[in-house]
Order: sequence, then structure tokens, then C-alpha cells
Amino acid sequence: MPRLPPSLFWRARREISPLAAQLLPACRDLQSAANELRWIREHVQDTKSPIPAKLRVWMLVEKRAKGVPLQYVLGTQPFGHLEIKCRSGVLIPRPETEAYTLHLATPLSQQSHPAPSSLSILDLCTGTGCIPLLLLHSLLTTNPSTPTPPPIHIHGIDISPQAISLARANHAHNIALGHLPPAPQSSPRYKLTFSQHDIFSPTLLHNLPPFQKIDLLVSNPPYISHADFARTTARAVRNHEPRLALVPPPPPLGDRDPTSAGYQYQCQPQDIFYARLLEIVSLLKPERVLMEVGGWEQALRVVGLVTGTGDGEKGVGGGCGDVAGKYEVEVWRDEPAVRGKGGERVEVGGREVVVRGVGKGRAVYLVRRGSIPPSSSSE
Amino acid sequence: MLRPLSSLRALLRRAGIPESHHGPPISRPALRSRFTTSPAANLKQLPPRPKHPPESEIEESFLKGSGPGGQKINKTSSAVQLKHIPTGLVVKSQATRSRTQNRKIARDLLALKLDAIANGDQSRTAVVGDVKRKRAASKAKKSRRKYRKLVDAGAGAGSEGEGQQVEEGREQGGEEEEGEEWEVVEETEEGEVETEAERAQDPETERVQPIEVDNTKKDK
Repeated sequence: MPRLPPSLFWRARREISPLAAQLLPACRDLQSAANELRWIREHVQDTKSPIPAKLRVWMLVEKRAKGVPLQYVLGTQPFGHLEIKCRSGVLIPRPETEAYTLHLATPLSQQSHPAPSSLSILDLCTGTGCIPLLLLHSLLTTNPSTPTPPPIHIHGIDISPQAISLARANHAHNIALGHLPPAPQSSPRYKLTFSQHDIFSPTLLHNLPPFQKIDLLVSNPPYISHADFARTTARAVRNHEPRLALVPPPPPLGDRDPTSAGYQYQCQPQDIFYARLLEIVSLLKPERVLMEVGGWEQALRVVGLVTGTGDGEKGVGGGCGDVAGKYEVEVWRDEPAVRGKGGERVEVGGREVVVRGVGKGRAVYLVRRGSIPPSSSSE
Repeated sequence: MLRPLSSLRALLRRAGIPESHHGPPISRPALRSRFTTSPAANLKQLPPRPKHPPESEIEESFLKGSGPGGQKINKTSSAVQLKHIPTGLVVKSQATRSRTQNRKIARDLLALKLDAIANGDQSRTAVVGDVKRKRAASKAKKSRRKYRKLVDAGAGAGSEGEGQQVEEGREQGGEEEEGEEWEVVEETEEGEVETEAERAQDPETERVQPIEVDNTKKDK
């Protein structure tokens, strides 16, 4: 991190407030220091506490100045129209996730032409539960005109018990805020459940709720490599967010060599979640799949895993390579809704893949061939 | 809160008199005017909030630092910048932490700006600015009057012994001030008008440009 010039601290002190100068090392520039100080003050004004307001502002600024992410300091992060609670130990929702989740809801809600009997969504590595909650909100609000909207079943899975309890708390929190209708025991409008499982566990599929078919499988798995975690990951993220949610675990001892026979997945260590996800895809056969990725190279590697044409790597999951022929593959950039260069494509292993939106490579999207018309989002 | 209208209706209902017996129904604003003493200007309808321009005319961008994004970094601000393609107008909002909220605020701002360009004096920002300016001016005038009275009373009480001279002086002073006051009012008003109108023009700009002097003031 470059050193901040003392003049910047003076400016913060003079033009904004001494508190802003205190925030500067964490925020790195005047504008965001001013913004964060304002948000902290607003938060203190909006919440009740026996502690005097000025002292609370000072305490929160102090905490933030130590590098704790603002979302942990304030305890929330806006996500779409929802407010997601954040606690240390669970990854904070990112704006890129918000962008593709909102974009994802559009084709799902437009899919009402064959009048599906229900809409089932499975979210793996759900964390705060932000993706299922926002999908639910979008589906409930964008499609009220249909006479009988299909009931929505959403299930979220995470390995961390903290994440599961936070996801449930977030569901209750957004019901209390009035963003979501109360959990319906009687009316079958939607059902949202979370459960704690390891997605690598062989018994995972037996523990899922009995879905007839899955319309969408979505996942934001850990995808940062060890090297990137040390080098390109922000300090606040490294020091305060759970490593479990960021970096895939190394292969079990004894299987250190990824090409050894015991190592199940023929891919780079940071991509093992995608290998496992594609295995799950080949078994559950969802209509659509969305997997968040860490950048353009990783997006291409994941496309390679899907098509079984990655450099020298064989098909996914030892023979489950039938994913390749059954799905259309797209790569989504940070803002999939913004129209970028029209008709951008990229070739991976002799197969042309549509690229949508602008920004960095952010997600790999699969649509099952034949069953639904190819993604209706305008291009 | 006392609601004269509804309580009147409730009374009528209790008395068994159907409301329709009282001749043709009176429109709401007209009815309200019978119960309020505030000037009629307040009842004048402001122009409605302008509609957002169509999405096809907007080029939206999300300002973010360079870097990998995603899980690797954790941004707190999600600034939204809109460019109106036909006019080239650019607005930016980082008022809230919420991207969704910022997108809406930016669109509101853009709509207000376009409205101001298209309708000039009749635009919502101009009319709202007018109303605010008038209110501010009348408030300033009242406060000036009040403090002048206080000062005069103090002066009168402090120097009773000098009798008529002072009285005269006061009278004269009063007259002069009366004359002066108008000039002063014009001047100060002009000064205030500028800032007030600017502020009124887009209430969100303050939020959009958050490096503001306000914070400093609050602290000291």
C-alpha cells in the first residue's frame, strides 16, 4: 500500500472532520472517508442505544480505523432492496454478486410461459444467504401480475454453522423490515430453507430437500488461490473475513500432487469447487447454473472444465463430462445487464462462448439445451 | 393529531346526517382551506416529480477502483454514474451504501436536471426553489423585525431619562430603518437567493458531494 501524504490528513481534518482523518488509513481517500463518516453518523442516528451518540460515533470510527470492514462495524450491508446482516466469520456480500443476482431473476420470472408448477432454486455456499433472499425478493416482486405465480422453493447450503444461523437471521430480519412477506406456514407461496452441509460430502445429495427438478443452481464458492490471497487480496479482506469463504482448502495430505491418482479433481487447486459443482450439476441436471468466478482467466478455466477441453485436463469428475453437450455456456462480466460490445464471444477449446456485460469476468452461466429458449436477456 | 375534516365527518355521521345532505361535495383542497389559516400559496400544487428518462437513453457506469473485484476486495461505496446520451448530461450518486438506492437517486437527479432544462421557470426545481426562497425571505424578515423590536425596547429601557430626544431619535431611526430595510432586504435576499436556489435546485447534490463544510461545523 502506498504511503498517504500528511497533507491528505490535514485536508481531511480541515475540510471534513478530525474523525475523517482517523478513517483515512482504512479508507485510503478523502471521498470515501467522508462517505463512511457520514454513514457511521447516520447509523448512530438511526439506531437506539443508551450510549451517547457522539461517543458511539467515536467508537465506531475507532473500530473502522483499525481496518475492520465497515459492514462488520455497522452490522449490515444493503443488497438490492434488502438489508443483509453481516457478522465476522461470514463473508460480506459483494456488489458484483448483487448485480448478477438481480440479472438472474429476470429470465427466471419470465419463464412463466409453460406455467411451471414450481420454481426450485438451490444455492451452494450461501454465506449470509444474500443470493437466495434477493432472488426470492425479485421473484416475488417482479411477477405479481400472473394469476397464479408458481410457488418458489429455495434451499441454501453452507458448511459453516455461523453462516447458516446468519442466513436464517437475515430471512427473519428482512421479514421484520417488511422487505419479504412473512414466512408462510399455511400459504405455499414460497419456502426458504437453509441447512449445513459440506458440498464435498458424498451424502450431500441424500440430504437435499426432495426437489422434483431444479430450475437454478447458483453458487459463490471460495475461489482465491493461495498465491492471490497473499498478493492481490485486500488487507481488510485478508485480516477480517473468513478464509474458509475465500480460499478453497488444499488437497488432503498425501494428495499434494494434483495429478496423482488419489486426487479426485483434475484441475488447479483454486478451481476444485467448480469441479465439484459440475459434478453436482451432472447429477441434479438443473435448468440453469450460475457460478461466480474470480476473473477472466478463472472464467475461461471453468468454461474449460465444463466443455472438458481445458488445457490437457480431462472431463469433469471422472466421466461425468456429459455436462458439455447438454448446456449452453456464457461468461458474464461484472455488470451483465449493461450492454457491452455487441455480440462479444470468446473461443474456448474450439467452442464459442457468449460473453455478456462489461467489467471483469465474474460468472459462468449454463443453460440447459432444448428445455428452455436460450437466455432471453436482450443482446 | 387533530383532524378537523375527519372529526367533522364523524360528528355528522353520529348525528345521523348523511354527508350527501349538505349539498354537492366540496373538493378536498377547498375544504381544507376552510380550516387552515396558512397562506393560499402553500396549497398551490407543485409540479409533479419528473419521470425518469427511458433506459435506452442512459449510459450507466459503476465507478470502482482498478483491481480484481469480487471476493478479493471489499468496497464500501457503490457510486453510480449516469450519462444521458442525447444531451451528454452526467450525474453521479454515492449518497447511500446501497447500489440499488444510488441508481434510483441518480435517475431522479437526471430527471430533475432534464426537467430544469426543458421547462425552465416552470420546472419542478425552479418552482420548489421559488417556494423555498419565499419562505426563507419571510422568515428572515420576521426575525429581523423581532430583533429590531428587542433592540429598540432595550434601548428605550436603558435610557429613560433622556426622554423625548431619544423618542424622536427612535422615531427617526425607525423611519430610516424602514427605508433602509427594504434596501437591505433586497441585498441580503439577493445573496440568500443564490444559495437557497442552488440548494433547492437539487437537494441531492449535497448528498452527492459529501465533502461538505457541514461536518466540520457540527464537530466544532
